[in-house]
Amino acid sequence: MIRKFLQKLYLALIFIILYAPIVTLMVLSFNQSKTRAKWGGFTLKWYKELFQNEQIMSAFYTTLIISFVAAAAATLIGTAAAIAIQGMKQRWRTFYMGVTNIPMMNAEIVMGVSLMLLFIAFRMKMGFGTILIAHITFNIPYVILSVAPKLKQTNRHVYEAALDLGASPLEAFFKVVFPDIVPGVMSGFMLAFTMSLDDFVITHFTKGPGIDTLSTKIYTEVRKGIKPEIYALSTIMFVTVLVLLILINYSPEEKEDTKTKKKRAKKPSKVKKILLRRVIPVTICVLFLFGGFYYSRESNVMNSDKVVVYNWGEYLDPEVLTMFEEETGIDVVYEEFETNEILYPKISSGAIAYDVICPSDYMIQRMIKNDLLAEINFDNIPNIKNIGKDYMEQSRQFDPENKYSVPYCWGTVGILYNKTMVKEPVTSWSILWDEKYKDNILMQDSVRDAFGVTLKYLGYSLNSTDLDELTEARDLLIEQKPLVQAYVIDQVRDKMIGNEAAIGVIYSGEAIYTQMENPDLEYVIPEEGSNIWIDSWVIPKNAENKENGEKFINFLCRPDIALKNFEYITYSTPNVEARKLIEDDAVRNSKIAFPDLSQYENLETFQYMGTEADQTYGELWNQVKSH
Amino acid sequence: MSNKLIDFQNISKTYGMQTVLDDFNLYIRENEFLTLLGPSGCGKTTTLRILGGFETPDAGRVIFDGKDITDLPPNKRQLNTVFQKYALFTHMTIAENIAFGLKIKNKSKQYIHDKIKYALKLVNLDGYENRMPDSLSGGQQQRIAIARAIVNEPKVLLLDEPLGALDLKLRQDMQYELIRLKNELGITFLYVTHDQEEALTMSDTIVVMNQGYIQQIGTPEMIYNEPENAFVADFIGESNIISATMVEDRLVKILGVNFPCVDEGFGQNKPVDVVIRPEDIDLLKPGEGSIDGVVTHLIFKGVHYEMEVMANNYEWLVHSTDMFPVGTQVSIHVDPFDIQIMKKPESEDEEAVNIEE
Amino acid sequence: MKSKRLLAGPYLFWSVSFVIIPLLVIVYYAFTSDGGTFTLANLSQITTPENLKALGISLLLSFISTLVCLILAYPLAMILSQKQVNQTSFIVLIFILPMWMNFLLRTMAWQTLLEKNGVINSILGFLHLPALEIINTPYAIILGMVYNFLPFMVLPIYNVLIKIDPNVLNAARDLGANPVQTFLKVTFPLSIPGVISGITMVFVPALTTFVISDLLGGGKILLIGNVIEQSFKQNSNWHVGSGLSLVLMIFIIASMALVAKYDKGEGGTAF
Repeated sequence: MIRKFLQKLYLALIFIILYAPIVTLMVLSFNQSKTRAKWGGFTLKWYKELFQNEQIMSAFYTTLIISFVAAAAATLIGTAAAIAIQGMKQRWRTFYMGVTNIPMMNAEIVMGVSLMLLFIAFRMKMGFGTILIAHITFNIPYVILSVAPKLKQTNRHVYEAALDLGASPLEAFFKVVFPDIVPGVMSGFMLAFTMSLDDFVITHFTKGPGIDTLSTKIYTEVRKGIKPEIYALSTIMFVTVLVLLILINYSPEEKEDTKTKKKRAKKPSKVKKILLRRVIPVTICVLFLFGGFYYSRESNVMNSDKVVVYNWGEYLDPEVLTMFEEETGIDVVYEEFETNEILYPKISSGAIAYDVICPSDYMIQRMIKNDLLAEINFDNIPNIKNIGKDYMEQSRQFDPENKYSVPYCWGTVGILYNKTMVKEPVTSWSILWDEKYKDNILMQDSVRDAFGVTLKYLGYSLNSTDLDELTEARDLLIEQKPLVQAYVIDQVRDKMIGNEAAIGVIYSGEAIYTQMENPDLEYVIPEEGSNIWIDSWVIPKNAENKENGEKFINFLCRPDIALKNFEYITYSTPNVEARKLIEDDAVRNSKIAFPDLSQYENLETFQYMGTEADQTYGELWNQVKSH
Repeated sequence: MSNKLIDFQNISKTYGMQTVLDDFNLYIRENEFLTLLGPSGCGKTTTLRILGGFETPDAGRVIFDGKDITDLPPNKRQLNTVFQKYALFTHMTIAENIAFGLKIKNKSKQYIHDKIKYALKLVNLDGYENRMPDSLSGGQQQRIAIARAIVNEPKVLLLDEPLGALDLKLRQDMQYELIRLKNELGITFLYVTHDQEEALTMSDTIVVMNQGYIQQIGTPEMIYNEPENAFVADFIGESNIISATMVEDRLVKILGVNFPCVDEGFGQNKPVDVVIRPEDIDLLKPGEGSIDGVVTHLIFKGVHYEMEVMANNYEWLVHSTDMFPVGTQVSIHVDPFDIQIMKKPESEDEEAVNIEE
Repeated sequence: MKSKRLLAGPYLFWSVSFVIIPLLVIVYYAFTSDGGTFTLANLSQITTPENLKALGISLLLSFISTLVCLILAYPLAMILSQKQVNQTSFIVLIFILPMWMNFLLRTMAWQTLLEKNGVINSILGFLHLPALEIINTPYAIILGMVYNFLPFMVLPIYNVLIKIDPNVLNAARDLGANPVQTFLKVTFPLSIPGVISGITMVFVPALTTFVISDLLGGGKILLIGNVIEQSFKQNSNWHVGSGLSLVLMIFIIASMALVAKYDKGEGGTAF
């Protein structure tokens, strides 16, 4: 009895651990507040908004379709292979099982990268097809490993008996052997489907523009905080699967079966059984299918007139895209990236022809240097007049002749601190090295930003390539490491809102948003100076729809559109006309969003320093991180 | 014979809705070869598993050598089991399998070594020490399972349909082997089987079971020759079981014809069942026997012919060394002492009568 | 018989095209420099102190995670394997079910749970218990690994355990072994193929992950997965990335070969 109780307790504990995060996500889907760090009251609005969010829904259906097709194809190939392997001689079987084990043993990242290199080498167009191939590849082993043991259990004579009774080999297989291995095939399929659904790393490396699975969509959002609609979608998915599972496994009449005398009771329960185990699941599946058609119809009306946009995650109001499509009749294929460094190889390899991309200053400089960008025809961008002169001037640091880029957003890097935790006035980067705030400091998790901050603190240029200066900065960063709570990118935002830390290094654009959510937060640009950055629209050399790209840029420079974007992403806009339209005085005159640049002489823009310096930075940063 | 070694007292066991044993009582004497015989689901395996300690009865006690062992775990019981599908440890060699119980008991290396040698010799498998169980045939595996059990010198050896998976020839060999072992070791055997031939060949005592109740206990001869009810008669060997009326002592009316018999004490004009073994029927010329009939089927069985004779609307099963072609007119004769009379059960419950005396 | 072998054709084609050739591409990149000349410099990158340290921490953390998974999963698999048959498929599916919530989301959710002002600490604070401060430490990474990979340990072990004939265990008990001895001498040795599959399926992804350490480790702990990811994504240095990947691959193969040495039976019982 005690043993039984302990067993139950143990099971319960594991279940709690297993499902705690899931319950958390479900709760977050009802959270009024957009950030996961704060509970803003109960709401169902995310569910409503989910179905209007075409990006998420189409990512969802892409995920389902890819998972389904990949799992089906893998099941077919894998089952056939398992049958063949079963009949092979020992040596061949060992060989095949070895091959099967490669994807299982191999690191996902290695597999993803190797496939990406292959696709690029063979000039395959990255997109739905390449993701599918990759998914089938890593799914097959799961199917083989599910089917093989079942095959081993089946009696060979059964197959021969079927042949003996006049069945053709095919009939014999499908009527006799196949039913025996169905559980294995099914579990292989389910496993493959689940793995596909859950995969991120491999999809990430093999996907192309305009296509997203849920995983990659979520990953681009991890930076900016995940959209609550995603929580809503996950909750719906999870609950649906759970209900299906319960229906399929719960058969109400089974208990009655033992009481053989109650034969009359069987009839209605049979109806119930069919209803529960067949009708409802089929209905749900059909519903999903129709949803798929509906959303794919909306997103797949491929106009020949299109523009392929590659932008930062969460860096544009989705409504703007719709408006652009409606006004111009040009379809936007929209994809998001997470860092400049991810963007660069995609552009330099030329594997994908983007029409408009939005890199940062130093990356633009690098692209210009490597002749990857096309000159913009400013005749097509009359709205350039709305962009402030100062910003065009700033741009000359990386685009000396203002030929290649149109500024989109800009900002500074500074310190965000919580007034309730930091009582002293914050003026210097030195607070990041203050023992008082041990475990309360959030540092930027990127080489340039971390070194930039430190170099500035030391009084050097943040574009320093002097090894002594860099070593000094490295040592300072290593000294700082024990004080740092975490190295993060845009999660500074959620963590600061949730009062997780006292001080964080943050982009000014994020600071505005965090202040809205948590009034205790204050942003300063330290007196030693800092980084001023500009993200600009550029057009790659291999763009196929250059003119559409220019139309798109022009559209974004329209004051009302720029305003809409500013309100959505809260990053400072260089569009002076748009700024004038801001209704809220506090925001329009915000020192954070629009600091008076003349007061800060020691603000610097990142420069591209060449591969060698890049590697030096990378190595030094690794030394910090691994210390 | 000697004293009771094992005593099942009022054992009951149910699985969910199904009662497997109901107030079951049985004792086993020392050095006895006792067989539990019955169709599947009759409770025989449950009985054995309760004795082995793998099941706990819902009610009742198990007394072993005067001590109550009902709640004793299997590893504390002085008996060993040979399982249905051998249940060898596939990850150990034959020697390791056999040594398993001895190592648990911390026997000396030398002792274990000697025991393995002895046991393998006993089951005619010397030299197999380092083989793996998977490389052995079914019969060999079975003998290893026996060797593994007996090296522990149990007071009782439990065997759960140990020959079930073997082919006929091997099964017969193993039967002799078991009898030889029993004689050499001098321990008590509790044997479970549904194979009547096995039971008849090896046992000192047979317990016929059905639906959780004991139908009859007796020596093989008693069970075969004097089945106490239709179930036993039907289960053991082939027989003609016919409803009849006991006219008076020593006279029974079968299918409307009076047959003299040797049984007494059933009263007058009482309905009874009679059992007549096919080999006890003599076929004579028409008119010479008790009932006339005609041969309808004929099969050559090697030692004898098996025939069916239609007489008075009943198909009599007859074994005879003489052949009568199909269509032959014959007459049936049965000697009085070959007619076995059984009380007719008056209700379903009584059919599963519990015999304990 | 011949036609049957043809069934492996599509698979062979697929494996060669999308498993073997891509690996050869990695090998090519690993042994060449930017200019395409042969070099061993990429491979020797692993010997820099920081990369060695990252590899060491990765090995340590994935070893601990695998061990914890094993310790948690084994009793779980045993309890599950003793359940009645029609219940088990359901219970087992319950373990796969969490995978239907995206892996990144699940890991993110742990952040929400573990943070200083997170859900767990709120509950602990409410109960006047000391706070749990493991976020942004190696412990949180281990937790994340164990959480994400536990099903991969449970399922193979479970699958082996349900295949063990209960009479084999009865036989051990019958021969005098107490429950502990029965477990150590019979149950466990018989379940080793499942344990090996489980170890493989936990150890490999744990060794190579970069997302978990990013999300739960606060970016303070650099794993070898992070180093590789960085060389591909941040430093855009595919040659070094490939070199390190190759080293990692060799490491995995070597450690699995080591583990497999103890696997006398046949593996492949994963699912």
